[in-house]
Amino acid sequence: MIDQFAFLISEGFKSFYRNKLASFLCVITIFINFSILGSLFVVGYNTNSLVDFFRSKYTFEIFLVDDIEEKTYIDFVNQLNSNKIIANTELIDKQKSAIIFKKEFGEDVVEMLGYNPLPISVKVFINEEDFDFSKVDLLIKSLSNIDFVDEVEYRGRYIDEVEDRINLAIFLFLVFVVAIIFLSYQIISNTVNLSMTNRKDFIDILKYNGASRIFIKIPFYIESIIYSVIGSSLSFFFVKYFFITFNSYFDLNIKMDDYLWLWIIGFSIFIGLYSSNQSMKRNLNE
Amino acid sequence: MVEFKNISFSYSKESGVYDIDLKVQDGEFCFLVGPTGSGKTSLLKMIYFDILPFKGEINVLGYNSKKTKKNKVHKLRKKIGVIFQDYKLLQQRTVYENIALPLHINGVGRKKIKDNVEEALDLSDLSDYQNKFPHQLSGGEQQRVCIARAIVKNPELILADEPTGNLDPAAAHKILKILEQINKEGTSIIMATHNYKLISDKDYRIIELKEGSLVSS
Repeated sequence: MIDQFAFLISEGFKSFYRNKLASFLCVITIFINFSILGSLFVVGYNTNSLVDFFRSKYTFEIFLVDDIEEKTYIDFVNQLNSNKIIANTELIDKQKSAIIFKKEFGEDVVEMLGYNPLPISVKVFINEEDFDFSKVDLLIKSLSNIDFVDEVEYRGRYIDEVEDRINLAIFLFLVFVVAIIFLSYQIISNTVNLSMTNRKDFIDILKYNGASRIFIKIPFYIESIIYSVIGSSLSFFFVKYFFITFNSYFDLNIKMDDYLWLWIIGFSIFIGLYSSNQSMKRNLNE
Repeated sequence: MVEFKNISFSYSKESGVYDIDLKVQDGEFCFLVGPTGSGKTSLLKMIYFDILPFKGEINVLGYNSKKTKKNKVHKLRKKIGVIFQDYKLLQQRTVYENIALPLHINGVGRKKIKDNVEEALDLSDLSDYQNKFPHQLSGGEQQRVCIARAIVKNPELILADEPTGNLDPAAAHKILKILEQINKEGTSIIMATHNYKLISDKDYRIIELKEGSLVSS
């Protein structure tokens, strides 16, 4: 039994070795396909972080009129904090504004002009859970109508749009993933097909000498596993080091699933086995 | 051992075999003769269930053509050795590897493979050729490799389809001599040939086919 298994394994390797050009092209195609697929896995894995990143921008800023009394805006802030859709607020008074201005523009506005022209503002952080854009919009409209509110600056209108685009991108990614899987399937299937055609004499001899179907198939399964493992291992290393370099170059924090290697290699083996099985079915008239 | 019960098979209107009733006993050596296109190869192919009759049934070594499922046919084939006119040797493998192939299929261990292959090489007078490749051998030698591959698994039945068809008379006689020796050891042999001269002095059963029908058996 062990000798028989060793024989089948060696036949798989012989088949891989004999079709050098086809094997090389198949491995290269799997490498390219799974590099793209692996990159998509990583992007998909980081999509939630991306959405969280945008959601963290769910803030708006209320600029108050210049002559507002301290008691009025403190009451106003307390009122805002009691609103359910608001997570918390940050009051930026004139001194704070001047510090921020100096930090951002490098100039001391008070020293330069002799007075502080910067307005008092309140930064409002919206509750991310159960976020409802219409409620936020309504709140902003009502705030804009208050006498002592000069302006409300809200960038959240774009966040919805960004999320829509992310969702569209995810959908397109999925379409792309399906296309890549189909392409890999075709390539492996055709390579095994070619391999079986090249080895028709071998298959015939096996058949006439009493080899079962599974015995005939095993070397070709092994051949497709070899394609898949080599191609996908190369693509795993490529994806891994590509994102490590990308992270360090752009100072990003793109994360990778610890089991990415397992996903890529396992998935390619699955596709390899499935496509070679389909090809063998055709060739052995099953 | 082999029993044809009123079988018919045809590739087209002009070629095939029709209404054949035939029995071959254990240990028998018989020649299947007839001109080209008379149905000899079809009859042999039916014995190892490569093609199945449209009508009637065949019993071979306990396997019935109607009852045996497609996925069980390989079990029958393990008991049969087939010798082809065109040898069907694997060109990229040595003589030894070609002969060992059926034993790998049968799951025989490496040690036993070595013993059996050496025995088959001996019987086929090929001991000095085991590391050569088929293309380095003459037609007669290649046919002996084909015989060695057929006998290495100790089959109960050997089917030889025109094994001397491409050989000169001396090589053909040598092949026949080897087959006779194998038969003496108890293996049944059905040999298809149209070389009447080769078998004329032999005292074996002759089954004659003409245009797909049995003329004599």
